Amino acid sequence: MSEDIYANALKTALTEVRNICPDITRSFIFTEDGTIIAEAAQDAEVSTERAIHSFQSLIEKADTIGGLNTFLVNGSKGVAQISRVNNMYLALSASKKADMTFIQSVARIIVPTVMKLLENIVSTPLKSTSPSQNLTAENLTGLFTGETAQIDNEILKEWSKNLGNVRIDEIEVETSNGKNARCKVKAISEREFVGKGLIRIPEKLSRTLELEKGEQLKVKPIIPEGKKV
Amino acid sequence: MSIKDKPEESANLYFALENIRSKEGIIGYILRNSKSASVDLNDPDKIIDYAMLSTESLETGEIASEIFELGVISSVVVEGNDVKVLSLVIGDQRLSIFMAKEVDHNRMLKELDLTKHSQKRNERLN
Repeated sequence: MSEDIYANALKTALTEVRNICPDITRSFIFTEDGTIIAEAAQDAEVSTERAIHSFQSLIEKADTIGGLNTFLVNGSKGVAQISRVNNMYLALSASKKADMTFIQSVARIIVPTVMKLLENIVSTPLKSTSPSQNLTAENLTGLFTGETAQIDNEILKEWSKNLGNVRIDEIEVETSNGKNARCKVKAISEREFVGKGLIRIPEKLSRTLELEKGEQLKVKPIIPEGKKV
Repeated sequence: MSIKDKPEESANLYFALENIRSKEGIIGYILRNSKSASVDLNDPDKIIDYAMLSTESLETGEIASEIFELGVISSVVVEGNDVKVLSLVIGDQRLSIFMAKEVDHNRMLKELDLTKHSQKRNERLN
């Protein structure tokens, strides 16, 4: 499924949700870097850039409370809610008379289910087709760790070889609880961690996945678009 | 006029906050205006981080309110994996209450709402 079809399917889902509940005034899905993936059809074009930019800043500050899952604003005329759905964010605004239970169902059940279904029905362009590797989680801390995980260079080389000498810069990590996330990857730099079947996970990602040190993880390489074997 | 200049309103708010503070799962609060701040947190090492989060959540709430046409903000809730923050504006005071994720923030809102009503009534009488 191409990204366009994926986005169109999400847009249709959001528009249908709005048709069912006309009290929903706006709804869109965006990534952490601020890209809007899908937006429900709406009556008027309104720029959301400022709201997303401000929200990105809030995401950074929310590290102190273990990341940001939900942001809810109650106003005299309406409500707005931004909820984390996998690695994306769903923004919904509604009039004051909207049924909040329905809004919560949309944010917590309907949209995540649609996204999961879309991902499962047909693999997305960046989806890996290679077999996964089981690795043990190890903390990666330090000032300059950023958001890049580290695994054995041997594994990276083997994946690259099996996938037609493609450079592997990104992986998908899945926990035993079914939580998954994508992140950048590079070879383990410290010798004491080499050859032990470890994946060194940066603190932020570790919190997102609610990981414990020593936990077994399923790790897959992500093959860049256009380089599938 | 700030709440510091209104002893009764100030006392009402602090009384409500003390009551909330004693409840299970409450991590603390930050109450501030343009001149001063009152901070009561379980972990003083987190004051700066929590203060920045408090400011950012209300600012983001105001921007969201403007863009999504939500009107006057009554409350902003930020929920993380571990902690939840309820922020609101009471007069010229900006209040953020930090609590465990499981705590029902709507109950806090009701308690604080009573305080707000009491302030408004006193303002009318004055």
